Amino acid sequence: MNGTVVKNQLIFDFASGILGPAKSLFASTYLQLNSNASKISSTFENMLGENLMDNENIHPKNLTYSDCINSENIKSASNLKDPVTSFFGNLNNLDWKQVYKGFKEYTASIDDKDELKLIKMDPGVSVPLHSHGGKEYILVLEGSFCDEYGEYSKGDIQINDQRIKHTPIASKDTGCVCLSITEKDVIFFGKYGSFLNLFTFIKSFFKQK
Amino acid sequence: MEKSNLSNLMIRIQKNRDEMAFSEIFDFFAPKVNAYFIQNKIKFESSEELTQEVLSTVWVKSNLYDSTKSALSTWIFTIARNKKIDFFRKNSKINFQEEDIREFLYQDREVDPIEGNEAKKQIERINNELDEQQKIMIKMNFFENKSHKKIADELEIPLGTVKSRLRHILTKMQEFLR
Repeated sequence: MNGTVVKNQLIFDFASGILGPAKSLFASTYLQLNSNASKISSTFENMLGENLMDNENIHPKNLTYSDCINSENIKSASNLKDPVTSFFGNLNNLDWKQVYKGFKEYTASIDDKDELKLIKMDPGVSVPLHSHGGKEYILVLEGSFCDEYGEYSKGDIQINDQRIKHTPIASKDTGCVCLSITEKDVIFFGKYGSFLNLFTFIKSFFKQK
Repeated sequence: MEKSNLSNLMIRIQKNRDEMAFSEIFDFFAPKVNAYFIQNKIKFESSEELTQEVLSTVWVKSNLYDSTKSALSTWIFTIARNKKIDFFRKNSKINFQEEDIREFLYQDREVDPIEGNEAKKQIERINNELDEQQKIMIKMNFFENKSHKKIADELEIPLGTVKSRLRHILTKMQEFLR
């Protein structure tokens, strides 16, 4: 899979406004942390802005400019925070679930088909070899990790699908905190693979409530 | 209307809360924004309400607009797009947070200034390289968010051709946007 194509697709879809809430929050954070992604999105938004500039006119029937000046529906901007803080608050105060030693996660309660999670890995901790049922998007918020394909640090994004098996390891110095989107549950391989798969399978029953 | 004209009108709103300047911006953009919502399959009554929200936002939050970061049409497009997202979603709690997030992003994120720079050249290059039909397809796909099927019907070309052409356009754009 060509990673760049999928990353740009995410940016284009964000700019068009067709992402669900989970991916939308994920993409906002990506644009905030990654200046290259931010520039691409700004260029693309300018292209769409030109579409608006040249768009056809369909006149509103009962709307005048003074209706807009006197409208009371729009509040002026409140205190603006970065996407992760405004959605999750202080990450240290979250009720993190330990999946195994050195690996914690926090699942956002968000009404969407995609699952949005925060992942925290202690320095040097690794994830058993696994692949993914659907696509998985990982964005590094703090620290870094590496796997068979490269090293990923703050603002980097990794997109995995069924064809990719990997063993991510958190940096020995910093560990890492990541934001992740999973479209479907991951499939584990190796020694603990069947156990972890069973665990995910059982967990899915509780999620259906 | 000229882009520089629009910017000047916007400056008059930002500095003096100039209602006449706003009425000109309203006359120019309201029908285009209204058309955008209708193109995005929103019924006329709702499109008019959303158009009011967009133009009210332009008036109330005029100070958020930064002419060094984007063209006015881009800023107004992003407001309209965000209203569209909110309209199609039911969960208002997230929408409220998202509005703050989007405004934060507009102010905070690192963007090349738009005049005389890389971004502007990129857009010109893309515009030069894409032919008319490719531009129409970008508009239909990303601006009007039409399905591939609908694009095929309207342009009277086979669905498979639409898919392969869009893929081609995207690959081309990847090259420009590096």
